[in-house]
Amino acid sequence: MQLDKIAEKLRFDPADLRLSIAESSNAVTANFFRLSVVNLSECIRRVVRISDWKEKFRKMPEGRGVGLACSAYLTGAGLPIYWNKMPHSGVHIKFDRGGGVAVFCGATEIGQGSDDVLAGIVAEVLGLETLDIRLYTGDTDLGPVDLGSYSSRVTIMAGNAALEAAERGRAIITEAVAEKLEVQRERLRFADKRVFDSAAPEKGVTFREAVCLAEARFGTIGTMGSYTPPKSPALYKGGGVGPSPTYSYTAAVVEVVVSPTTGWINVPKIWIAHDIGRALNPTLVRGQVEGSVYMGLGEALMEEQDFRRLPKKMSHALVHKFPSMLEYKSPTSLDMPEVVTELIEEPDPRGPFGAKEVGQGPLLPIMPAVANAVYDAVGVRIDEVPITPEKIMKALAEKKAGREPRFGPNHFPDIAWPEALRVPPPWEGGDGHAVNDVARPSKRHADKEKVLSS
Amino acid sequence: MMRLPLFEFRAPRALEEAARILDGEGTAVMPLAGGTDLLPNMKRRQQVPRILMSLRYIEDLNHVHWDHSARRLGACVTLADIAADARFRNGLTALRQAASLVATPHIRNMATLGGNLCLDTRCNYYDQNYEWRKAINFCLKKDGDTCWVAPGSPKCMAVSSTDAAPALIALGARVRLVSRSGEREVLLSDLYSNDGLNYIKRKSNEILAEVLLDSLGGWKSAYWKLRRRGSFDFPVLSVAAAARISASGGVEEARIVIGSAASLPLVAREAAKSLVGRPLDADSIREAAVLAARIAKPLDNTDFDMSWRKKVTGEFVTCALLELRGDDVRSKRESFMRTSFL
Repeated sequence: MQLDKIAEKLRFDPADLRLSIAESSNAVTANFFRLSVVNLSECIRRVVRISDWKEKFRKMPEGRGVGLACSAYLTGAGLPIYWNKMPHSGVHIKFDRGGGVAVFCGATEIGQGSDDVLAGIVAEVLGLETLDIRLYTGDTDLGPVDLGSYSSRVTIMAGNAALEAAERGRAIITEAVAEKLEVQRERLRFADKRVFDSAAPEKGVTFREAVCLAEARFGTIGTMGSYTPPKSPALYKGGGVGPSPTYSYTAAVVEVVVSPTTGWINVPKIWIAHDIGRALNPTLVRGQVEGSVYMGLGEALMEEQDFRRLPKKMSHALVHKFPSMLEYKSPTSLDMPEVVTELIEEPDPRGPFGAKEVGQGPLLPIMPAVANAVYDAVGVRIDEVPITPEKIMKALAEKKAGREPRFGPNHFPDIAWPEALRVPPPWEGGDGHAVNDVARPSKRHADKEKVLSS
Repeated sequence: MMRLPLFEFRAPRALEEAARILDGEGTAVMPLAGGTDLLPNMKRRQQVPRILMSLRYIEDLNHVHWDHSARRLGACVTLADIAADARFRNGLTALRQAASLVATPHIRNMATLGGNLCLDTRCNYYDQNYEWRKAINFCLKKDGDTCWVAPGSPKCMAVSSTDAAPALIALGARVRLVSRSGEREVLLSDLYSNDGLNYIKRKSNEILAEVLLDSLGGWKSAYWKLRRRGSFDFPVLSVAAAARISASGGVEEARIVIGSAASLPLVAREAAKSLVGRPLDADSIREAAVLAARIAKPLDNTDFDMSWRKKVTGEFVTCALLELRGDDVRSKRESFMRTSFL
């Protein structure tokens, strides 16, 4: 939204302004986040094209408007949720002589599709199909720890751990099959549930036979994989918030219809492009994007925690005005717009098979894009969510009275901030430290490590 | 998880038997129709009847009797049945629209017409679980003595949230109430009082058995409902309008009813009267909209800002009257209702 306001002041098209400042691949940002593959510009160009942005922005009739916004999101928090030096995710794989492959991982499927991702990665490495993989997830009695389904981290972390475990398994099986077939290891391929000579594909064994050969040669086969994110170059206090192995990027254009007489808002269509790295399962990825749009719209237009103070003669406490899910509203299927989803794919070397997150990132541009679209439609800024008809009417009244056409907080919360840290950015020779950071005692930290290692 | 309190269940097969049970058990028994309102309320301990008496096994209550001069709708006819019944057109459009817009498809499959007419009034201080209500020392509507919406108010301000009642009042409906000692017919507009606590004049020993509608030849009607989403939510404002319009376009008779802006559906008599003898033109519609909006006094105990809800009243009266006039208001209806089937 801020960029939208800046673009208007500078008489720039907001899409062009964003394109002119979008980061490129492998950059280190001012706050020392190391980026990997960045396709934000392509996301912006794509939504601009498919939404006919240039024909619509500031050109639609009164009451109709489009808004654009974009976002970046981490693909897994770079630091563990509780401090330790162990991997963030682990995967065990057991190969049995019947050709069965069982994957054990603490990762928790909460509907986002992480089970499918784990099975898909292992199946891809071993030349099997997703349904051939038996999964034991979310159970720390059976499998190694995964830190959890948060921060959009499961695909990259559990996925990379699964990739490592599967590749180790493949190496063991390759060894045994190469010996049996008398073929160079490098020439063996795993596909179609077979292990075969790539130079003479008819020469090979079934996957089950391959596992039997390996078990005969090496004993029972089990492999392990784990994943720890790379160290962040952000060394200043607070630099632990935000580092990630890589980031996803999203751009969205939202079209709104706003009634100038009631402020009633409808969202007929949304175009969204997401830089996913590589879509391991495009159907799931699109489902995640649409789910994000739905949640983003809820945040933009409906969700609110309203509080009111009880009278003095009672506790005078702040109580929740609507503590019920019926009144904490999110869109129904009737409120959902048509969503056009585009996936921008360029494999990211940090992700398993190049995949990045699609858990939370696509949600982020929706709220500002709705707000920007409302401004395009009726010329008022709603600087607060949810954007509601009554707020639009209040802002329209301000506009009519010749005052600033906006609704929202009129000042920043009164907070006694400590002295701001100054971190010279990389291009000013910064090394990731703040020049005015106060050295922290590290004794407590050292004690904790001692406890862990004892 | 909120569980239902223990209750005894009765399922009489005849209206007389039901009336006898109601009479014998007094306030310990509550009639149960679709249960979509009562059962969640019981989980929140808003109502804790010792006995639930189902009405759904009473054959007579499940029928729509239809002849050329009158219609009799059994109280247990479901809202889904009404929404799907193509006979509810022209004069009765408002009822069909109202029934179609209640809650969700699942709820409409269970919820009944009579249940919607008897729907408990709603308030954000009341429709809460027991612990929440206890934390604020309860409220005037249940177990407490203060109306938290208007702490100085001697009466409960809970909101009439029925969709069917405003529509049926606009259609001039009557209801038949049956008790052990006899039965009576009352105009639906006389069934309610503007008191969130004692919102309905049905006596505890009476069963709302039927809705009676005269033939509405020459009438047109419409129902507009405001809520944040296209499904699920209760109305936070609604307008039902019906009018008999002469061949020359003059209004011969009209009724406008505003729902969810008080503890009862508000009959906008002056607004309706102002239309009589005039064509539905820009002037007469504007005047009626202003007059109707004047009586709507929504309070801050539902979703959406109360002053904004009041503002929408005039807009909805205008939309409804334009619809009666035969204007194409489908895009506007779709914009507010988020559904295009009506």
